[in-house]
Amino acid sequence: MTTPQVPKEYYRYLHELQAMDFVCLELSLYLDTHPDDQQAIAQFNQFQRRKQVLSQQFEANFGPLKEYGNSPIGHRWTWSVGPWPWQV
Amino acid sequence: MDSQWRPFDTYHSPFDPCPPKPKSYIVPPNQFIVFQAKGMKQFAPQEALKRGTLWPDLYSPYEAMPQGGARS
Repeated sequence: MTTPQVPKEYYRYLHELQAMDFVCLELSLYLDTHPDDQQAIAQFNQFQRRKQVLSQQFEANFGPLKEYGNSPIGHRWTWSVGPWPWQV
Repeated sequence: MDSQWRPFDTYHSPFDPCPPKPKSYIVPPNQFIVFQAKGMKQFAPQEALKRGTLWPDLYSPYEAMPQGGARS
């Protein structure tokens, strides 16, 4: 099965997801030492929700992001089809 | 020279055939901030991903030692 060429949104989604991941990472490190910072907690929730929405949209269009049941797979098993991580 | 780099001079022996190598060490901003204050200003997400940190005050490019080093 040849790997289908992916549209530009694929990369835009991934780039946005990476930015969201990074902000969540930084905020979680910050919250480790500042557990009572409400403003940071609110921001973390905001980015966590955005990240969830983005990954749901990505998975609706391009297939599962995570394996082993961590992502919905729809009706076809496309795990071995999509561009592999090193091909992205 | 970048403010985060500080040159220092090492002893150069008269018997040392090689010219004195310029040396400097980096002092990134996280050396000055002991405990991160609340509500520090932040980069935009895309910018933060590029810079490698969410907080501009803690940003350091960590460039290699500039060639000029102590003698620049």
